[in-house]
Amino acid sequence: MYKSVFYKEWIKTKWFLILLSLIGLLAVGNIFLKVQHNITFNGANKYWYLILFQNQLYFKSLKFVPLLIGLTIALIQYIPEIMDKRIKLTFHLPINEDKILLIMLGYGTFGLVVSFGLIFSFFSIMSSHYFGKEIVDAAIISVLPWFLAGLAAYFLAALVILEAIWKYRALYFIAAASFLLLFFEGGIAGSYSPVNFKLIILTLLISISLIFSAYRFRKGEM
Amino acid sequence: MKKISRYILVFITILAFAVAIPKLYWLAFEKPIQAPLVMYSCIDDGFMIQYYDQEFIRTDTKGNIYTRDEFELKLPLFYIRQLLINGTMPDTIKGVAMDVHEISRTKSSYRYRPLYKNAPDPGLYPLFESESGRANLEMPLDYFRIKERMEFVIASSNKVDERKTQMFTTVLNNRGFVFPSKMIAGLPTTRKTIDEGYIVIDDADQMFHVKMVEGEPYVKKVDVPEGLKFKRIECVDFKDRKYYSYLISDANELYILTQDDYELIKWPVEDFNPEIEELRIYGDLFNYTITLKGPNYLNITVLDDKYNKVDQYYDSWTALSETKAGKAAAFIFPAEIRMTDANSSFVNFYFERTKGFLWLILNVLLMAIHYTIIRKNGFKLKRNLIDFTVILITGIYGFLAVNFFQNKFFD
Repeated sequence: MYKSVFYKEWIKTKWFLILLSLIGLLAVGNIFLKVQHNITFNGANKYWYLILFQNQLYFKSLKFVPLLIGLTIALIQYIPEIMDKRIKLTFHLPINEDKILLIMLGYGTFGLVVSFGLIFSFFSIMSSHYFGKEIVDAAIISVLPWFLAGLAAYFLAALVILEAIWKYRALYFIAAASFLLLFFEGGIAGSYSPVNFKLIILTLLISISLIFSAYRFRKGEM
Repeated sequence: MKKISRYILVFITILAFAVAIPKLYWLAFEKPIQAPLVMYSCIDDGFMIQYYDQEFIRTDTKGNIYTRDEFELKLPLFYIRQLLINGTMPDTIKGVAMDVHEISRTKSSYRYRPLYKNAPDPGLYPLFESESGRANLEMPLDYFRIKERMEFVIASSNKVDERKTQMFTTVLNNRGFVFPSKMIAGLPTTRKTIDEGYIVIDDADQMFHVKMVEGEPYVKKVDVPEGLKFKRIECVDFKDRKYYSYLISDANELYILTQDDYELIKWPVEDFNPEIEELRIYGDLFNYTITLKGPNYLNITVLDDKYNKVDQYYDSWTALSETKAGKAAAFIFPAEIRMTDANSSFVNFYFERTKGFLWLILNVLLMAIHYTIIRKNGFKLKRNLIDFTVILITGIYGFLAVNFFQNKFFD
């Protein structure tokens, strides 16, 4: 039964997941085309200088890519469920309702982690090719919260979508948006180092927030 | 599990709102607070003060009021360009002939902010050629790091220059350097008059001056008195070449490291807190004016050109928490969380509890409102005790959070 739920989610999302991952990889490719171009025109030593001492964030175009991927996957996965209240059918299956939702969420999380993992690895490998360890480390510290925001946005979007009453949907949206802002403070490269671990914990915590909305949904609050 | 998921959402909302709501509040109501400009007059041997109160007020510590021209005449070395245009620059001050070149040579200006210290370390630095024979400094092709050795990484290939690495590492080893470095301080810019390399603190807290002269390493160990350690070194590039850097010791004392003879001289500046205070040092022909600027005060020490203390001044102004907006905030917010801090380059959860307990009034009021909401919806009071506690502690943030994510199904 778990397998079939997993399979159903895969059918729903596979093309989007693949396409979005490709877009993410292309975004990284684009970053390093620009890096290559800058190095050719300004010289690597001057470009390193801009990054090290003038706070040039060569990776900043990556900022909202994971967020976009997380949100889109949530929309693709959960919008069909609330259309005609299809998820109520799912809840009639002979498995615990929370478990079904957690499987759906688990599938989405797994898909996103794989997708983000690919994009992140590609970014790290390319960065290490062009730059010294210190520059790469600072870049990784800076992009990590953006990927976490992608996951957090996925969890919170699921919560907002599965909420049946528009008033609460709007309130959840406000809370979710305020929370997601924490991941996008900006600042200089490496500035997120004291807070990244805390953001990882917070992201893990909200992964189970969907249960709240599901509970409301199946209790019939429409 | 359902209850836990709700409290997680409540917690996250409180956190997000404790950041977002005060941020919006201050964006709307914060008024600029201008610190007074305080300078030391070599004419009067006293402090000159300029502040803004509807208009610029120029005065001194005795309460005399000055026009702009009169004020500038009291600070001829600071306003020299204006006085030269006006033709009012005195010929001599304290028996010293006013030579424009000498005035320019002895003039220095420097600023330290706590966020310079509380910042990620770049880890890679350019080592300039100190005696290239060229008028302008040139950016080297490589950057160095000091870990197990002093490694030079060529930027274009991202590979280590083994020859140069060996050369510098050997010299550092011969001088007794203990790898890795704890601190690397310098001026990594080509926009300076000459290059003096870096002041480096090694793993055994020894201090070294490291530079490159005609492609060869120049390494000089600096004698540091037993037990003296530095938390911050700020290199300077002043025309008079009296010293390489300002140094802040672990005990928050201010030192200079003199040029060529590497003497550490302590300046008589007291109560410096480099975590929250900005430091400004303005030097001229006669004096050094050292300004410690806190959130709502200035603490100024004036030294003569031999670094002896000659005068001191303290001034403070209304703190943000004492303004109308600040007082209203103390009523609304039990605490604020900021992701950024004026004294740090790092992003973090900077938690600041509001002084006093005025906010408790609002919190209790919100509990009463919450009570009516619960009654209206016919929920059981007993099941909402935790929510009431949350509101009592976190006030406006908790009130919004528990009502955004309502408890009704858990009755």
